[in-house]
Amino acid sequence: MDVIVKGDDPFGDEAYKKLFEDTMSDLNKAVLIDRAQLVLKPKVPLFVFSIVLKADPGNKTVVDVSNVREEGGMVYVTITQERYAPDVLRALWTKYGRNKVIQQTRFDIEITGAKMAELQEMVIASGEDDLREIMGAIWRSMPEGIKNRRTLIDGGVITVIATEELMQPEMMDEGRAIHVEMGGAA
Amino acid sequence: MFEVMMYDGGVYRSDELFEMIEDVGGVVLQKNRSSQMLTVIMSIPGEDREEISKLCKEIGGEVKEVPLAGTEIAVVGPTLGRHHMPHPICDVAEILRRAGAVTVVMGLARGRGKNTSQISAVEKEIIDEYDACVMCLGNFKPCVEKKTDLIKDLHVPVVLVSGPKPEGVEDTYDALVTGVGRKAARMKSADERAKLDEICDTLENVLKDKKLSIEEDPLFVHPAEIKQILQDYEPIDMCLRPSPMVLHLDGLRVKIPYEENREYLENVMVYGRKLGEVAYIEPSRIDDSSVIIRIKTRSQVEYEDSQKQ
Repeated sequence: MDVIVKGDDPFGDEAYKKLFEDTMSDLNKAVLIDRAQLVLKPKVPLFVFSIVLKADPGNKTVVDVSNVREEGGMVYVTITQERYAPDVLRALWTKYGRNKVIQQTRFDIEITGAKMAELQEMVIASGEDDLREIMGAIWRSMPEGIKNRRTLIDGGVITVIATEELMQPEMMDEGRAIHVEMGGAA
Repeated sequence: MFEVMMYDGGVYRSDELFEMIEDVGGVVLQKNRSSQMLTVIMSIPGEDREEISKLCKEIGGEVKEVPLAGTEIAVVGPTLGRHHMPHPICDVAEILRRAGAVTVVMGLARGRGKNTSQISAVEKEIIDEYDACVMCLGNFKPCVEKKTDLIKDLHVPVVLVSGPKPEGVEDTYDALVTGVGRKAARMKSADERAKLDEICDTLENVLKDKKLSIEEDPLFVHPAEIKQILQDYEPIDMCLRPSPMVLHLDGLRVKIPYEENREYLENVMVYGRKLGEVAYIEPSRIDDSSVIIRIKTRSQVEYEDSQKQ
């Protein structure tokens, strides 16, 4: 995750870069973010946090995050993206029951009586949930008193413009310009 | 001259320690027991320090210096919002507790924001009940400078802890420690631990001034002596709150309801005088379940006596 900070407060800029990185890592969102730009203007006050995700947040199915093969009435699942392992297991237990889902190792699962087609349609994480969690993480990394926020979302680009009291049109313009710079729609 | 020190060890043979403290005429200021571990903060005559240290080591514990013992400190932040956790305030409070202080962590009701932060009169009065206040502010210089409005009317010594160094607001605080702003992780690195020690030392220096001014015009009675007199009073003895009596430099906080116990407290005898005559006894501003006792100085008591004649 590349983080660029633009501001005029040397201590605050450095501290907020670390704060943003720590918060995203703690909430397990750093892996989803390709790059981020933080514009910090505490004198105004105006804060613009803009991030570009590595991939558009879409619905994830079991086959998106694991290798699946069907053989002799059994389906064998090998999870390739570790962060989805609990979601995969939860979804399989819910559909087939614990006695038909056998977890051989941390990433290898055998399912009795499952069909490949069912796993292809089985959603384990919705894009909306991901988006909500990412926005929550951005809000959490912002100063607490900066409560008046507007969010712009275009595909994988999320920009949060925040101020303390009235949101002036020029603040929105500045936020939109950064959103476009990061790859969002004009 | 009385000295304050802390025993940190097990409960095994701790009765021998309490007996010795009593024998030498010392006072237990604070006692915390957690399972089989025990910490005792005591005030003892200087000449008996060696004997007590020897006994502490003999029974398997160790003796630690506690420069802030006998004080109650408010560690205040503009907000204790969940999204700010873990908060540097917690680390600051912890290091002060290790130095022997009783600490209270406090967030203001409307303290957040640069232009909208406020402190109410009640909040100021609550902070003024403590011996000193450590105010923790954030990372941005303009915000820190603006938020010093929160501390400018406090009457207790204030140590301001912030990220950058604020300018033009030097008259609002007694001491300043910079380099600690908002953080998203515990202060565990060597540099951060050194910064916490610096806060502790700064507060110790600030309180030293207050102690010196008390020494110049001594209190009518030492707060520890009032603690000794009151400790057998049933509501205090039966109080389940942690540290039912907390020492301040100029008095003490007693965690029992004011209305029900006012009469007893005012009439309890101290060196042939009623406590109500030699101390101000008031309900705490937090709620009416605590009482604040502020002991008058000797000169003040003498002056009031002369006025009566």
